[in-house]
Amino acid sequence: MHSLLPFGRWLLVLCVIFASQVQAAAINTSSGWNLPPGVTSISQEIFSLHMIIFWICVAIAVVVFGVMFWSLFAYRKSKGAKPANFHENTTVEVIWTAVPLLILIAMAIPATATLKKIYDTSDADIDILVTGYQWRWHYQYVEEDLSFFSNLGTPRSQILGEEDKGDFYLLEVDNPLVVPVGKKIRFLFTSNDVIHAWWVPDLAIKKDTIPGFINESWTIIDEPGTYRGQCAELCGRDHAYMPIEVRAVSQETYDEWLEEQRQMLAEDAAGSQREWTMDELMDRGKGVYNTYCAACHQADGSGMPPAFPALKNNPMMITEEGRDAHIDAVLYGRSGTSMPAYSGTLSVADIAAVITYERNAWGNDAGDRVQPSEISEMLSDD
Amino acid sequence: MLQVIKSVLAAFLGVQSEKNRQQDFQSRSPWPFIVTGVVMTLVFVLVVASVARWAAS
Repeated sequence: MHSLLPFGRWLLVLCVIFASQVQAAAINTSSGWNLPPGVTSISQEIFSLHMIIFWICVAIAVVVFGVMFWSLFAYRKSKGAKPANFHENTTVEVIWTAVPLLILIAMAIPATATLKKIYDTSDADIDILVTGYQWRWHYQYVEEDLSFFSNLGTPRSQILGEEDKGDFYLLEVDNPLVVPVGKKIRFLFTSNDVIHAWWVPDLAIKKDTIPGFINESWTIIDEPGTYRGQCAELCGRDHAYMPIEVRAVSQETYDEWLEEQRQMLAEDAAGSQREWTMDELMDRGKGVYNTYCAACHQADGSGMPPAFPALKNNPMMITEEGRDAHIDAVLYGRSGTSMPAYSGTLSVADIAAVITYERNAWGNDAGDRVQPSEISEMLSDD
Repeated sequence: MLQVIKSVLAAFLGVQSEKNRQQDFQSRSPWPFIVTGVVMTLVFVLVVASVARWAAS
């Protein structure tokens, strides 16, 4: 027979092991086991609330289970314990009802104080309208007349396993959201199609974006850095492929970035007027195709019939007669299918380029070019 | 009347002693309990609402 440690010592050992594990997890926040403290005063407040309530739960568990296990052990039948036989004890019942009530109220007081701060979106320096799309984010800087789409930046070759996955696999975008540090930024959330959710753990923001509704949140980021997130509401097949990348930079860098964006918009506007060569269109079209079309129609144009038709050898894309229908499908979508309209999403240059690309890639030999000016004329006729 | 209020409060908390329960069931009519219950529920709702309003201001 091996001898057992006395029960009290067992309990102590277990408590020490448990507490050290928990403490390690709480302190080492990069362990991945705990809530991240984040980089804003609100996210840190939420983290401390989370820890306070966690320790309250631990204390309750230690008391309740301690009493339970001690009773089981100290009053076991083999020691000759006799069960008490009574029906009720109003005093004890009142205590065990009132104590949790008081604990809950004590928890609600600091939680309410934090909630009030979270909902106070007043006096913002910058307003950004965030719109969810299947499957990308659109950011509009309300005061700056600047807006753009933010698409998945991870190359398809990494997704298909043809290349090693990068450090920020599926957490990187082509155009990140850039914001200045130390400024109060108000986010307005809505959606263009289905319900998405904009979730950046380091900012402690997780808001549903709902078509026809505006949700609000705000943040002040103190530390410059890149903060990443994902869509947190299942929104369709590419739900996992619409990450969020927020870059917090100094005010100077932010101003420079704004200037750059304005120049790019001006260049784009100028580009829609001039004549483009086949090489220019094909080059730009390939990039647009891989970002916006390849998820369904595949990089090699083979599609996934019957839901997503093949574009390779598609009669619409290899004949002169199909040209108008082809342009129409890209601009306005195909009703009754999952093909969306791109007239409001892509610039005229992007649309012209991607149509040209589809007509001349993968052995398609329509041979014709679609010029940006042609598209802008069609759109202004509407 | 004090007995009725005490019993309604006990019902709010969900704990009532057997002695009080026996005493309540001596009562000839249930109406004092029902009316007091409704009135005290309204008072409770108003108290919670005003606490919430105060906390939000």
